[in-house]
Amino acid sequence: MLIRLLLLLRLAFLAALAASAALSGATPLVLSQAMSVNSSAAHFPEGAAAQAVRLPDDWTQSRPRYDGGAWYRVGFDLPSGAPSNEPMALYLARVCGALDVELNGQRIHSDARNAAPATRNCQQPRWVSLPSPLLKAQGNVLDLRMQASALQRVASRHRVGALSELHIGRDSELAGEHASRLFRTVSGVQIVGASVLLVGCLVLLLYAFHRRETPLLHFGGLLVGWAVVSALAWWPDLPLDSKLVEVLVCSGFAVVAAFAVQFLLSHAGLRSRPISIGLALQLPLVPASLWWADPNRIFAIASAWHALFALEVFATMGLALVITWRRQRDDFVSTLLIVAGTAGVLLFELATQVQLLPAQRVPVLQYAMPLVFFAVGARLVRQFARTLRAAEESRASLENRVKEITADIERNFTQLSELRVEQVTEKERKRIAADLHDDLGAKLLTIVHTSESERISTLAREALEEMRLSVRGLTGKPVRLADALADWRAETVSRLGQANIEADWRGPTEEIEHLLPARAYVQTTRILREAVSNIIKHSGASHCKVRSSVGERDFGMLVQDNGKGIPMELDGKLDRGHGMSSMKHRAKQLQGQCLVESGPGYGTVIRLTLPL
Amino acid sequence: MNNILLLEDLPEIRAWMKALVLQVFPQSLISEAARVHDALELITAVKFDLALVDLGLPDGSGVDVVVALRESQPEAQAVVVTIHDDDDHLFPALQAGAFGYVLKEQARELIAEQLKRMSLGEPPLSPSIARRVISYFADQSRPQERPQNMPHVSLTDRENEVLLRVAKGFTLPEIGVQLNLSRHTIADYVKQIYRKLNVSSRAEAALEAQRLGLFRR
Repeated sequence: MLIRLLLLLRLAFLAALAASAALSGATPLVLSQAMSVNSSAAHFPEGAAAQAVRLPDDWTQSRPRYDGGAWYRVGFDLPSGAPSNEPMALYLARVCGALDVELNGQRIHSDARNAAPATRNCQQPRWVSLPSPLLKAQGNVLDLRMQASALQRVASRHRVGALSELHIGRDSELAGEHASRLFRTVSGVQIVGASVLLVGCLVLLLYAFHRRETPLLHFGGLLVGWAVVSALAWWPDLPLDSKLVEVLVCSGFAVVAAFAVQFLLSHAGLRSRPISIGLALQLPLVPASLWWADPNRIFAIASAWHALFALEVFATMGLALVITWRRQRDDFVSTLLIVAGTAGVLLFELATQVQLLPAQRVPVLQYAMPLVFFAVGARLVRQFARTLRAAEESRASLENRVKEITADIERNFTQLSELRVEQVTEKERKRIAADLHDDLGAKLLTIVHTSESERISTLAREALEEMRLSVRGLTGKPVRLADALADWRAETVSRLGQANIEADWRGPTEEIEHLLPARAYVQTTRILREAVSNIIKHSGASHCKVRSSVGERDFGMLVQDNGKGIPMELDGKLDRGHGMSSMKHRAKQLQGQCLVESGPGYGTVIRLTLPL
Repeated sequence: MNNILLLEDLPEIRAWMKALVLQVFPQSLISEAARVHDALELITAVKFDLALVDLGLPDGSGVDVVVALRESQPEAQAVVVTIHDDDDHLFPALQAGAFGYVLKEQARELIAEQLKRMSLGEPPLSPSIARRVISYFADQSRPQERPQNMPHVSLTDRENEVLLRVAKGFTLPEIGVQLNLSRHTIADYVKQIYRKLNVSSRAEAALEAQRLGLFRR
């Protein structure tokens, strides 16, 4: 068991050793020297005087103002120890121009469609398979023809003719390098461009639903425009004239700059007709100026335009910054960062164009600008969300307000209708009272004063009083008990006084805050009036004592006279003629009681107790 | 009492009242009226010493007659004779300048007694009327409730004392005893209270009219 394990380990060790030996012998050849001749001939011009050039070869350095084809020749030996059965390849990190490749006299690659001097596919790394039958172990000759444009004929330094070092090696060795280079310069830019396009479309869609948000329109236009311009840069083999492509790209930048300026203005809440008109005029002017210009001046004119665009954007960004500082100071820092980032990227690019900085291996502009866009987009989204939230909040508060007001109105309406019911009821009561007084009252009064019979006029007077009390009970509000006691006292004392009966009335001395319902007031008035009438009419008393008391839950009254008392009827009840039963009945109606104690010669005591 | 105005719409009652008045004031000359309109015409023609005015009349309220009398013949005594015993009816009449009131359904002797008293300058005052008067003057004495240029009529301490005691249910003779004042003095206080009530009410009414622009200055 142990032996088998050891054997396995040893086998693994030997395998690892073999792999590393294979790797160490497989370093790709890097050729950074070439012989070069300016010629557009179909093959390397053997007779011509070739110059030695260093690779990478930047045409602005090696052959400024030259426009056309150039042949490069390199010789190489296959790396020693390379297994011959593995496919070999030529890898060029950067070729700005149309490339043809011949190996040992045989054409193995041609960017056929770009026969004319064309400087496209500048971002596309090239991969050329070297067919093994053509390869020799030593003394291989590789001829490359590149047809490219002079700087003067392109709008951007990125598209001037250039050839990088040549890498020759096995497929497996170069594939990784090629793939990562391809990703950096093409696929990555494509992905970013697609994202920008997508976001731009979303923003435009958003604008379609919020037509008043013009910043959205401008921002969406900016993004879409940028995506298109950057697509023109990486799109392989556009079936268009080289000059037309340059004009298109430059015009594309004009559109992007116009959208950028408009976006910054509208986002800052500004509107300027002259600026809009100027930007609109600029749009046709840019392609026109390039199209009809001397082909050798395209770079100069385009650079001037690019500088102008940058200037416009810088100026508007400065303005936006000032406005943000004035109006939304809490947004200032983020705005400043975005503006600074944009300015940095643009300055970097301009510096590259005028050769203050060397050309980069990665398309910086096409990665950095989308970052700026996404930052701005994030800010817009945040603002949009904020506005949405504010709108939600204000809607909610408005809803609450409406609810409150509705509740208020309902409450008021209820109150009003209650009040109205009360008013109508009160009015009706008053009308009934007035009718009773005018009609029944007048008739009873006439009876009172015209009847020959004292009894009838007394009855009529009592009826009138009854009517009046009933009406008061009908219309009455609660009466303060203290006021009621005062009324009763005044009436009782003055009636007894007129009948020459001495009155002794004592009530509670402290303040009484109790209220007596109108009905209780009326009924008690009747009971008391009846009692006093009895004393005046029947008792023959000379003295009357009245005591009133207010307890926790009830109120009591005692009326005592020193008269001759009430005679008993045959059935043992007190005399009905004295109205005792009606007094008791009334007290009962009020949930109280009225007790009468009387005996011949002992006077009469009436005890009235009513709940409060 | 020479010239007496009797305003009453019910013929039987008017006749009855006339007999009663003649019994109390045998020398008097009685002018009868059944409507407010007639009474107002009589006021322009005859100078009265006493006016017995019913409140509820077919063509209006007796209060208007009280007001007219108060304005054209301030010396005349207006007494309200009514079936309404509640202060909602009586208080406006008193404010308008009525000197007192008599409840119609009372016994003949009682009314005669009251008329006699009033002619002697002893007006009646019930606890509920007293309470109304107290609260009326209490409102008047609050500056924020009173218009700025309103003459301030206020009650004396004694008048207040009398009112408070009436409001508590004491009769005027009782109050006289309590305050050690003659019956005549107590009656004077009551008269004074009625007068001030009328003065204050009229000032209030004039201001209100001014505010509404009835009088142009």
